[in-house]
Amino acid sequence: MTKHPVNLKVNGDEHDLLIEPRKTLLAVLRDTIGLTGTKEGCSTGDCGACTVIVDGKAVTSCMVLGVTVSGKEITTIEGLASDGELHPIQQAFIDTGGYQCGFCTPGFIMASKVLVDENPNRTEEEFRHALGGNICRCTGYTKILEAVIQAAEEIRTAS
Amino acid sequence: MSEYSVVGQKLPRVDAVEKVTGAAQYGADVHPPGMLYGKIVRSKHPHANILSIDTSEAEKLPGVRAIITQDDVPSGRRVFATHKVLYLGEPLAAIAATDPDIAEEAAELIKIEYEILPSVQDVTESIKSSAPRLHGDETKDGPNRRSINAKIKELSSDQENNSAEIRKLEVELEKYTDEVYYNISAETHTEAGDVEKGFEECDVVVEDTYVIPRVHQTYMEPHVSVASADSSGKITVWASTQGPFAIRSGIAGTLGIPLTQINVIGTTMGGGFGGRFGVIITHVPAVLLSQKSGRPVRVQMTREEEFLDGRPAPGCVIKLKTGATKEGHILARQALAFWDSGSVSGASIGSTIRVRGVYKIPNIKVDAYGVHTNKSGTAAYRAPGAPQAIFAGESQLDEIAERIGMDPVEFRLMNMREEGDSVPAGGTEPKVGYKETLEAVANAAGWWEREADENQGWGVAVGDWTNGCGPGGVYVSVHEDGSVRIFHGSMDITGTDTAITQIIAEILTVPYQSVTIRRGDTDSAPYSTGSGGSVVTFTMGNTAKLAAEDAHRRILELAAERLNTDQDNLELKDGAVHVVTADPPKSISLGELAAYSLSTTGGPIVGKGSFARQPSTPALAAQIAKVEVDPDTGRTRVLKLVASQDVGFAINPMAVEGQIEGGVVQGYAWAMMEEMQYNENGNVNPGFVDYRVPTSADLPTVESVIVEVPAPNGPYGAKGVGEPPITPTLATMANAVKDAIGIRVSELPIKPEKVVEALKNNGHGA
Repeated sequence: MTKHPVNLKVNGDEHDLLIEPRKTLLAVLRDTIGLTGTKEGCSTGDCGACTVIVDGKAVTSCMVLGVTVSGKEITTIEGLASDGELHPIQQAFIDTGGYQCGFCTPGFIMASKVLVDENPNRTEEEFRHALGGNICRCTGYTKILEAVIQAAEEIRTAS
Repeated sequence: MSEYSVVGQKLPRVDAVEKVTGAAQYGADVHPPGMLYGKIVRSKHPHANILSIDTSEAEKLPGVRAIITQDDVPSGRRVFATHKVLYLGEPLAAIAATDPDIAEEAAELIKIEYEILPSVQDVTESIKSSAPRLHGDETKDGPNRRSINAKIKELSSDQENNSAEIRKLEVELEKYTDEVYYNISAETHTEAGDVEKGFEECDVVVEDTYVIPRVHQTYMEPHVSVASADSSGKITVWASTQGPFAIRSGIAGTLGIPLTQINVIGTTMGGGFGGRFGVIITHVPAVLLSQKSGRPVRVQMTREEEFLDGRPAPGCVIKLKTGATKEGHILARQALAFWDSGSVSGASIGSTIRVRGVYKIPNIKVDAYGVHTNKSGTAAYRAPGAPQAIFAGESQLDEIAERIGMDPVEFRLMNMREEGDSVPAGGTEPKVGYKETLEAVANAAGWWEREADENQGWGVAVGDWTNGCGPGGVYVSVHEDGSVRIFHGSMDITGTDTAITQIIAEILTVPYQSVTIRRGDTDSAPYSTGSGGSVVTFTMGNTAKLAAEDAHRRILELAAERLNTDQDNLELKDGAVHVVTADPPKSISLGELAAYSLSTTGGPIVGKGSFARQPSTPALAAQIAKVEVDPDTGRTRVLKLVASQDVGFAINPMAVEGQIEGGVVQGYAWAMMEEMQYNENGNVNPGFVDYRVPTSADLPTVESVIVEVPAPNGPYGAKGVGEPPITPTLATMANAVKDAIGIRVSELPIKPEKVVEALKNNGHGA
């Protein structure tokens, strides 16, 4: 299959790659670039484990072809902490026990980051509905919600 | 104020940073150089004869490096189907290719000729003589035929004198032709007391049939295995599994390879819930493909494959009968259960006895059968079999309470067993916290003051479970900076490594942060039981305690030597050994002792813990839900969900709450949403669009209440906490819906359409 040149900006690093048009962004991130923090839970865009941020929006990377995001800014879970400091959302997931097996966690953290960046003033109920695109099978969501609310609170007071 | 400083604390987990930064390595993240991608070729029909498998076209596709079928299994053990497939998605072949898309293309090029056979999906159909047979024509007797045949057998010893009686019984037998069961995979029968007599003494007897669907554990990480066979024959397997040692022996047994030639490396587990012990599912195909291709191979299931060929929890049909006096004493209970074991034997038929619950029921009889259907086999799912049996038992209890006009909580409290009471068909009760736990949830939920508007209702149920126990080994060593290292072989199952670390930090009186824990592979670590059955904190906690105590002994020995005093004068406290009799105070830090130890005859501080078995203590989970049912749409909204659990002792309360909350939501989903659906073509909802699992939008916050009645043999009194919380939720929800709409739904899940239908049939609405 013919490969196409793409330029992916992932976590600030530029990658000039030749990829087949059938490869998803998820496959490119994991298999080509080697960033395996983003997880594959369903391959159909239903579970949110593969959520990454593309130009400020949360996308399920299993539903995006790699060739369509050339030149866009992509952030994955590996790019969230800066200078060895965890992002407040990452810290909140630790503090509240907002993860168990951890497989859905990268996706939840990336989705939460976009929600909190967009509007940290959401109510618990609003966060509850806004996170409905991500599935967690371990926590029952109680502590994930606590984490997101804690992070939103921190980001609100910091800004 | 707790007498402990590390155990009992809400501490962040030891794997916190790797889990929130994406650094944790799961099975699919393993990528050895030269790795190929595996793909399993699966049956497109649920029941068919295989006429031919032609791999020639697939072999020609560039990038394909190996194709295997059952012919490539030297031991002959069934890995792939050959002549007949028994379920949709059953493996027939496997491919390894240089790219996952090429492997998928190759799978499409394998030509399989089928002769389609009629299939059976329902246990009540499968037992009939009209049903297609999966394995043969052998039959088993139902309960009445069993007892009649037993009498005939007894009388046959004196055929001559008993011939008339025998003939009478043979005529009687004819009445029960519908009790000749086909497609039976297993059976179990338990009896205590005399149920017939018991029912005669009852004022109220209720009978109903409960139908519980097959559901998938739906761990978020699909099964995956990376296998690498080197030229010497040594096999390395990176496995997403709950039990690396079980996988090692499973591969050895299936392929006839010595244990010493197999090393299993357990990768961080993306959820298991009992469903991650299977050997054939991905591990064996990965090994065979690596052996044939000479390259490492990753076999990773898609979510669709998980639904078709995972090993989900069995569905079942339970016919249950319960009787009580008008004063509220339960006197008898009888169950006849058919468990859907799929194409193989198994299913949790032994759990049917759990219909006894935690009650003093003097007369009980249980007949349970595993029934073959054209579906994949089943496996454990969080307290295997208990949610199903307890759903039936606790639903029916509410019906009895209603008939005799008793409050459901009071009715349960009145019948609950206490220490020393005999357990129906099973020993006597140790010290348990049944009543405390139920009272705790009733108080926390506001049960006694409960109010309900129109279409609202409250439900309560309890479920019991006893953690398992198994072998484990732990090493602990103290280093010259005073840090402590733990080495062991058990898979972390959502927080167990943290519990082990807390226990060792507690005993060695060092800061939690100075202790690190490392899991070895099966080549290096001491043998450890699999991480299932709520065993880990109980087993590895005890093991860790023994290891730390062993290190503690060596520490005092060294300190006595170094400080020139008797061990009796010494105390380990705050990471240093102190001479209690010294004035001015005299002490030596653990780091100094560890450094000193390096030049002693006895050597470094290494503690060893090894443990296998101690009696466990039952734990109760009690839950209350308040719901509101919309009579027009049939939708049930949860207004309140409160869960209490006797955990013995919460080593990390944050982790324990997490287990309760997660278990309750899984139970909620089983009650209200989840169901693997089948028709004559096999499973019809193999994905998250049609098999809905709950999201954060479906439920309110679960309130958890921790009750601590210590287990005599648990580490610090801890009981296994993972499984109990799912056990009562199915019934809790059904009882709440009943209270809201006045109609008992005894067939799960309680989907909106079912509620609308039930309301219509009872004269509600249009």
